[in-house]
Amino acid sequence: MKNIRYLIGIIFISTFISCTSNQVSRDASNYTIPVNNFSQTVEMLISNDDFLEEEILKINAHNPSVQRILMGADAHLMKRKYIEANTELERALRITKNDGALYLRLAHIRYKQGLLQESESFASKGLLLRDISSWERLLLNVYLRN
Amino acid sequence: MKFRLTIGFSLGLIFIVLFTFFAAVIAVIDYRVTSKLDGVLWTVPAKIYSRPLELAERSLLNIKNLERELDMLSYVSSDEPETPGQYKLTKDNLKIYLRGYQDQRSGIFEVSFEGKQVISIRNQLGIAEDFIRLEPIAIGGMYPSHMEDRVLLNWPDVPQVLIDTILVVEDQNFFNHYGVSFKSISRAFFKNIQAGEIEQGGSTITQQLAKSLFFSSEQTIRRKIMEAIASLLIELHYSKEEILLAYINDVFLAQSGRRAIHGFGMGSQHFFGTSIENLSKDQIALLVGMLKGPSLYNPRRNPNNATNRRNLVLRILNRANKISNTELETLLQNDLGISSPNYRTETKYPAFHDLVRIELQKNFNESELRTKGLAIETNLDPVLQESLQKNIVKSKKELVRKYGNKLLDIEGAAIAVDITNGEIKAVVGSTSPSSYGFNRSINAIRPIGSLVKPLIYLTALDKYNDYTLTTILDDSKLSLISGGKVWEPDNFNKKFHGEIPLHVALWQSYNIASARLGLDVGYEPVEEIFANLGITKQVPNYPSLFIGSFELSPFEAIQAYQTIAGDGFYTPIRSVRQIKDTAGDIELSYPYSIEQRIRPEPITLLKFALQQTFIRGTARGYSKKEIENWNAGGKTGTSDDQRDSWFVGFAGDLLLLVWLGFDDNRPTPLTGRTGAFQVWKNVINDINPPSTEKTILPRVEYIWTDLKDGLLSGEACKNSIKVPFIKGTEPTKIPDVRRKCASKKQQSTETILDRLREVFEGGQG
Repeated sequence: MKNIRYLIGIIFISTFISCTSNQVSRDASNYTIPVNNFSQTVEMLISNDDFLEEEILKINAHNPSVQRILMGADAHLMKRKYIEANTELERALRITKNDGALYLRLAHIRYKQGLLQESESFASKGLLLRDISSWERLLLNVYLRN
Repeated sequence: MKFRLTIGFSLGLIFIVLFTFFAAVIAVIDYRVTSKLDGVLWTVPAKIYSRPLELAERSLLNIKNLERELDMLSYVSSDEPETPGQYKLTKDNLKIYLRGYQDQRSGIFEVSFEGKQVISIRNQLGIAEDFIRLEPIAIGGMYPSHMEDRVLLNWPDVPQVLIDTILVVEDQNFFNHYGVSFKSISRAFFKNIQAGEIEQGGSTITQQLAKSLFFSSEQTIRRKIMEAIASLLIELHYSKEEILLAYINDVFLAQSGRRAIHGFGMGSQHFFGTSIENLSKDQIALLVGMLKGPSLYNPRRNPNNATNRRNLVLRILNRANKISNTELETLLQNDLGISSPNYRTETKYPAFHDLVRIELQKNFNESELRTKGLAIETNLDPVLQESLQKNIVKSKKELVRKYGNKLLDIEGAAIAVDITNGEIKAVVGSTSPSSYGFNRSINAIRPIGSLVKPLIYLTALDKYNDYTLTTILDDSKLSLISGGKVWEPDNFNKKFHGEIPLHVALWQSYNIASARLGLDVGYEPVEEIFANLGITKQVPNYPSLFIGSFELSPFEAIQAYQTIAGDGFYTPIRSVRQIKDTAGDIELSYPYSIEQRIRPEPITLLKFALQQTFIRGTARGYSKKEIENWNAGGKTGTSDDQRDSWFVGFAGDLLLLVWLGFDDNRPTPLTGRTGAFQVWKNVINDINPPSTEKTILPRVEYIWTDLKDGLLSGEACKNSIKVPFIKGTEPTKIPDVRRKCASKKQQSTETILDRLREVFEGGQG
């Protein structure tokens, strides 16, 4: 019941944001999802970890040099080398402290490591950032599901 | 017959005894050879490094600090960088010849800046690079009792030019003898006679290794025989490559204080500040030349001797056709290129070292730390560390000048932490920060004075339905019975201030209002907030707790403030980043971890009040622009009878806490402002951290209120201040006298859509 309420809530919030937000997503074209498939997509994000990871890895950093580090982190992440991926993300975080792409990955890695409370905290911290797109906001919210 | 039998028996017995004796001697030597070569030689102490500075496109940078770091790394300013370790810095460009570190290759790079931001990085070919990494500074090691320090080289790490030089100079016949070579002895004899000086020794590399590993330098027949036996045994047990590698890792090159520099890997770091693969032929020639007399040819102590010896080695290489005549002439002209010893040799920064040691002891035993060759990568920012050390000494001098010799033995501690990730960037544990001794940053447990107040106020603000920043507090006389005694707190200025808004009481640091607030919110919620901020010790249930009788070490106090500066996310502060083994693989990492312990909205309200400390309160003096750029905030603390002077404040991404006081706990003439804040100010002005982005929360709005009654006001009204409120908790009442001035500028700029979006984009709450 709690999950259903959560799901309805997140769909509502996300739909609302996507309709009202005048904030242009950095790679909005990559993430445009037909409205009739939207609820299905959100449901998949919540229930399918692999799909969620795919979407996370599509989020690019603002800064090209940080993006290069993220590519290294993503390679480790895909090999399930979480410690190495984390090392790269921390390195990126020292260069830029306000990029949602980093917090998304940190939240995801902790989630994969089974550190659910920490995953949620990274997501919450990411949500405090100013310059994040609606889609990043939605993805971060997925880690608050626990 | 019987006689012959007896003689034969006796001879046989003697033979057996002698044979057994020699066999035993050989067995003992053999045991020593194998145990030493298989064991002790390959023990390498753990090394502690600062963080490597990474420059990336669009990263923020303070050019003055960059120049300082280059100086600390022994980079030399040059009009045209041509060799590793040189750079040219202008106001918007850095051209640097990197020495190379880990996956950062050596080479020339150009970095362009605009203001405090890196705009582009290009390599020698003009191709854009994403980032470059400077080498970290070695800040010490965990040395074994024999104090041998080495950087172990494996066979693939050994440059061919080093092998060629060693063989040509020390043992040309190395691959053809069995440990002892009469041919080598006679050739060396004739060559030295021809040259008129000692160019070559007669001992083979194997003999030199045996001598260095097992025997003293005394010249006796017995030692020579033992050395020869050991050499033969070494050749029996090990391949030529293994012997040469052992030699390369074992040779003694220099003494640095108590530390003995062994092996070419460490020698390269010690004299040139870079790894062996980055050395030029003349630099390798110098190191090899030093083998003959590490002290006599030490390039720092005897540069002329060292130059002559290097040139001799280069000429030998030329005669052996290892370098051409033209190359020889060029190499002979080169300077020795020795790096400054200041930042490469000794254990530095004792307080930081102490933190690292405590951290490591949780996961490693002493033996592992002294033998496994671990590389301990820390979070230390060497420029900040130097600044902290320099400024605590400078500030003490200023205070002594102002208050007299009674402050000569004032002590102190300071810790700097990165707000974002809890990395400890610098620590001092004394006003003599280079000396080993009592580390006050972790061991001085002292009353924190008014540093406790933000924690009490946060407890109140967390109950945001009951308290806002403009809730009126009573700062009139308070008298109550505590522990059977009358307790009557006083304000520092011995005055009462009547009814005042909560935020004013905090930035003015009024004791009585704070005590009343603490009593009102209660011990239990306060204890809960303390725990959430990261304070693990028992919180006492007596009212003086609310005005600062509570005791913490600087380390414990900054942990609590880290959670505040980090918007309510508790992050354990950490000195070590990761530990790598000799193969460069991560053995243990100390990842950035966070836990949201307090909602960000009450923290935002508290941070506003802490910023007022800079604007109107006990830390005033900075310009509005500086305060806003840094998003600065802080709190002074003074304990009873001014025994402790504290200041903790954040500026940019830096959180810095300073404590000053006497070890014997006698009163000082200092307050938080006149003591610790002066150190803080000196450090922050020196470092000038980059600005940071302020956290904007959709559920928080800023409203003009009156400084005295806390009710609604307006920008045009006198004594008004824009205060943050969690939406729905803002004051609604406006006194008639302010209606006119409040309406002048009061107008809503928010559209309904904006408001709705804010509500939904909040995401948490």
